[in-house]
Amino acid sequence: MVTSHGEQHTVGHPTFKQYVLVAVILFAITIVEFLMIWEKLGIDWETSTALSKSKIPLLIALSAVKFGIVISFYMHLKFDSLLFTGIFLAGLALAFAAGIALLGIFSGIEGEPREFAKEHAVPFVEEGHEEGITEEHESKTSEVEGSANLQIGVQGNALEFDLSSLSAPAGSEVVLTFDNVSIINQHNWVLVQAGTKDAVSADGAVAGPSNSWVPPDDERVLAQTQLLDPGESEEIRFVLGPGTYQFVCTFPGHNTTMFGDFQVTQPTS
Amino acid sequence: MAHNIETAHGADHEYTSTGLNHRKLLMWVFLSSDCLFFGALIATYMVYRGQSLVGPYPNQIIDIPLTTISTFVLLMSSFSMVQALSATIRDDQKGIQFWLLATAAMGAVFIGFQVYEFNAFKNEGLTLGINLFGASFFTLTGFHGAHVTLGIIWLLGLFFVARKGRLGPRTSLDVELMGLYWHFVDIVWIVIFTLVYLIGGFDTGPTLPLAG
Repeated sequence: MVTSHGEQHTVGHPTFKQYVLVAVILFAITIVEFLMIWEKLGIDWETSTALSKSKIPLLIALSAVKFGIVISFYMHLKFDSLLFTGIFLAGLALAFAAGIALLGIFSGIEGEPREFAKEHAVPFVEEGHEEGITEEHESKTSEVEGSANLQIGVQGNALEFDLSSLSAPAGSEVVLTFDNVSIINQHNWVLVQAGTKDAVSADGAVAGPSNSWVPPDDERVLAQTQLLDPGESEEIRFVLGPGTYQFVCTFPGHNTTMFGDFQVTQPTS
Repeated sequence: MAHNIETAHGADHEYTSTGLNHRKLLMWVFLSSDCLFFGALIATYMVYRGQSLVGPYPNQIIDIPLTTISTFVLLMSSFSMVQALSATIRDDQKGIQFWLLATAAMGAVFIGFQVYEFNAFKNEGLTLGINLFGASFFTLTGFHGAHVTLGIIWLLGLFFVARKGRLGPRTSLDVELMGLYWHFVDIVWIVIFTLVYLIGGFDTGPTLPLAG
């Protein structure tokens, strides 16, 4: 027999008013949740702290209520066969259990950086300029025979050296002074084989701050300063054969904009 | 009573062992499995909290007020979805089309907010590969957004079916199934919003300057 329009469910059906009530409750709970974190908005990220742990259970409970009323009323589970409820809850419970197990194996539920991250994570410094814009700087050569005195610094707090190119005669001792004139950034100056700046930087990130972010005993690294704090300088000396090299700052993330060429030219006789 | 078929299709009285409509049962089984899918991604995000080695870190980039607005929109789209089903059962043809379209529109607004957010994050330096936060955040919210997008396409499809006059009390199951999917996507978002934004949105990285 053809069943006509009307009740398609065996029991019950929320009324229009109940649907509206559910919507109002969803709306209201979301507002309450927003108000709970209201005071933490607008705080500078440099000084902001993680959400206080006492708020977390309440936020989760409020969301569980929203979850529950949408399922029960909008998805009609309250009025439908228990089999649907059983099927859905089985999947939900399994997912929940697997999630808890995963958390139990690895961490617990804090957002505090764990040991490895505590030691190795680096602060994020927002770039002072758009990526991709490079400015031309004069390159510096020294005419003094027998040695080359070079000086290189940083463009303020931007992640850029103040020279994009250096040069020195082959076979002569190069005396290079690196000035970290920035106020907030740590930097180094590392001379590497041409084309290897990014690879060395990647390995340097693994080597960590105790190695000044430079992989130790690496053939690609020809000379380097230590990791310099803001305001520090260092003078290093090295001798090179002719060819083209690269210099780079290997502080994590700086290598994309802090680098240049180092030409070692045949000395004029 | 095992064989009292719960179906709105007047014509079909197919045999079932549970008394429940096959398509509806399938949808609930699917939603149950989708819990596992999102559960895995959410658990991954939770495990990776605080583990990123480079920034940007959540508190530098997450915009709670903006996302609260898009959350409201998605919650209200569940209300309009329920109205669409109501209209279908009542045989209110204009209502069916209106509410289906309204639901799709609100879903599209939600996606619009998300596209804007993803773009803003990318410009501020958070990409899929930059750190664990980027990887877990984009994977989780990206897959949710994909679910919403598929839902919008489905809603529009139903809208065009409705315009041909083919949605009504006898075919209300089609709209009901759409509703189940849509509400599920909404409740997944409720979980994501709470964990990733309200709670996780304040997670910090190390503060400047780093000791040498």
